[in-house]
Amino acid sequence: MSGDGRGRPSGGLPPEALAELRASVRALRDELERRFGPRESLPPDEPEPKSEPEPGLAPEPALASEPEPWPEAELPDLVDAPADEPGWLERTARELRQRLDEFDVVKVYEALRERVALPGRGDISAEVDDFGLDQRYLERARSWLDWLYDTWWRVEVAGIEGVPDAPRVLFVANSAGIVPWDALMIAHAVERQHPTRRRPRPLVADWIATLPFSQSRLARIGAVRACAENAERLLLANQWVIAFPEGQKGALKPFRDRYRLQRFARGGFVPLAARLGAALVPVAVIGSEEVHPILFEPRVLRRLLGVPVPITATFPWLGPLGVVPLPSRWRIRFGEPVWFDGVSPEQAADPLYVNRTRERVRGAIQALLDEELPRRRSVFA
Amino acid sequence: MGARREPEVRRRGLAITGLGSFTGARIAERLLESDATRRIVALDLRLPRRLEGRVRFHRIDLTEPTADTLLAEVLEKEACEALLHAAFFTDPNPDVELSHELEVVGSLHVMNAAAAAGVRKLVVTSTAQVYGPHPDNPGFLSEQHPLRPQREAHALRDRAELEALLRIFAQRHRDMTVTVLRPAWLMGPSYDSAVTRRFEASRVVTLLGYDPLLQFLHEEDWLDAVELALERDAAGPFNLAGDGVLPLSTLLRLAGKSSLPLPHPILYRAAYLDSLARTGDPPAAFWDHLRYGWLVDSARARDELGFEPVYTSQEAWMSFVVARKLRGYR
Repeated sequence: MSGDGRGRPSGGLPPEALAELRASVRALRDELERRFGPRESLPPDEPEPKSEPEPGLAPEPALASEPEPWPEAELPDLVDAPADEPGWLERTARELRQRLDEFDVVKVYEALRERVALPGRGDISAEVDDFGLDQRYLERARSWLDWLYDTWWRVEVAGIEGVPDAPRVLFVANSAGIVPWDALMIAHAVERQHPTRRRPRPLVADWIATLPFSQSRLARIGAVRACAENAERLLLANQWVIAFPEGQKGALKPFRDRYRLQRFARGGFVPLAARLGAALVPVAVIGSEEVHPILFEPRVLRRLLGVPVPITATFPWLGPLGVVPLPSRWRIRFGEPVWFDGVSPEQAADPLYVNRTRERVRGAIQALLDEELPRRRSVFA
Repeated sequence: MGARREPEVRRRGLAITGLGSFTGARIAERLLESDATRRIVALDLRLPRRLEGRVRFHRIDLTEPTADTLLAEVLEKEACEALLHAAFFTDPNPDVELSHELEVVGSLHVMNAAAAAGVRKLVVTSTAQVYGPHPDNPGFLSEQHPLRPQREAHALRDRAELEALLRIFAQRHRDMTVTVLRPAWLMGPSYDSAVTRRFEASRVVTLLGYDPLLQFLHEEDWLDAVELALERDAAGPFNLAGDGVLPLSTLLRLAGKSSLPLPHPILYRAAYLDSLARTGDPPAAFWDHLRYGWLVDSARARDELGFEPVYTSQEAWMSFVVARKLRGYR
């Protein structure tokens, strides 16, 4: 520590924060003085006649908050000084006060702050939202997502202008593959193409929560485990949500069934959207069902490992390389939104109505798929 | 319970079981600080030094078979209006039988004695851990969510059993307000538990590949909530947690600690050996809390209890970290 408080490295703190810190240190000091005796009893500002000149003890009223360094060489003298020496009590009291000053809150706080802000050296921020979305991490991931979107899959978007600028929108899409690439790409497409620049939160298969490594990363870029409570909480907070009602059956469907929508296992999205007044937007993703062509999914492995292990055209034959998704050309088509304006709560809870609406949405997505599929000339070009 | 002897006079006595626990002692101190004449009846095995002469102490061992009769006599004699039941182990006790005797059977004694003595208000301290950390938990658990403590977590299973008993008890005694508080992990300058001790290590053991979201409740907010529960007539279970959540990795980075990620099969086995050796360490089930989410939604406590946490989860964590750092921990 240098004698002058201004020489202290302030760790890049803005001046107002530093002033605030100084004020709090001053308050702490006053508190110490209140407890350990008033300031008048210790004359810290005038050197004692007996002691050697101490430059650090010169009066510096402007820097009252800065602790003065106690010259190291002085300490033995003080400690060994005979108790009956005049001024001994004052000197000891002053030494104590110096010691208390070393109890350096500013230093501790600054060290912590440096770690909190994590500038330059961290890829994560000190704040996440309720479901773990980390804006700083997402910002970093964005360039990589952009590359996937523009270069790897060359995503085209159609019908985005039909997506309403409503507080609550629930996208319903066809799903494919274990890795929720489609979820990430739909979210990315909406964020880049829709005038509101809102990034919807994809709901991902719940067993991914048991999968090490992937869960925390997905959560940081905004994915949420698929369940009714989570979807409701997100919609209530006026977030846009992407649901994949095919569930695991969609994620594991074999290659020969590509673009054939499986049954919608969790029809919970219909009563939810109806109850919360969200617009349902059917979404068809073309191309996503070719990135991991699943040949079959052996039950034996699922029983042994507890997680579904699909055998794809590349996995496990190519080892880790087999996890790399194939670079098909993608097209994301947004359909006409379904509104639930005149639907009463009783109707929204009626199982027959729910099933009818669910099948209507499923039919809409299948129709979009059937319309788009013949249009493309090749899977990869 | 209609034949109460002092229907007009407000029975101001407050009984606290488990005065030696953090909650019991701190609530007694707080109430005495705001009102030195407040009659506090303390029930425990010993009286903490700090509270000598300030509370009316009765030595009661809740694991004794006749504890309920003794307790009812004391509550009757002292005319207690409310009872704070905080006689629980802070950490899972390696002695499974003793733990069960105290936390379930002992609590049953407390409930029955309270009913017999005409106590109007019963506040029981539970924990948000009773929901159990599970991969299929929703992001935020509400009070209606079923309690699913893990099989290996005997202390949590006991607590869940007690909550089931309390629910039946509350249905039978509708004139009594039974409040159950389920706080998230407590953090703060002075609260000390197996959980905080784990986070005091310079390298915190984590589970390789898992980075759960955690939330905390500051100790002062917790005491505020207990006081609110004693004041207000809000019955039922209440989740309590500070605002905001943070991933474990971020928390450790905020604290300037490094993590030691270990594969979970190894950790579970090591923890199992620990529990065999009865070192008093949390059982294997503890690690699930660092693996899966068990966040709670404290909306009900805000609406019905008027619970307004002053500290966010992050602030609670930082106050814990700063206090420990200042005390020389690294």
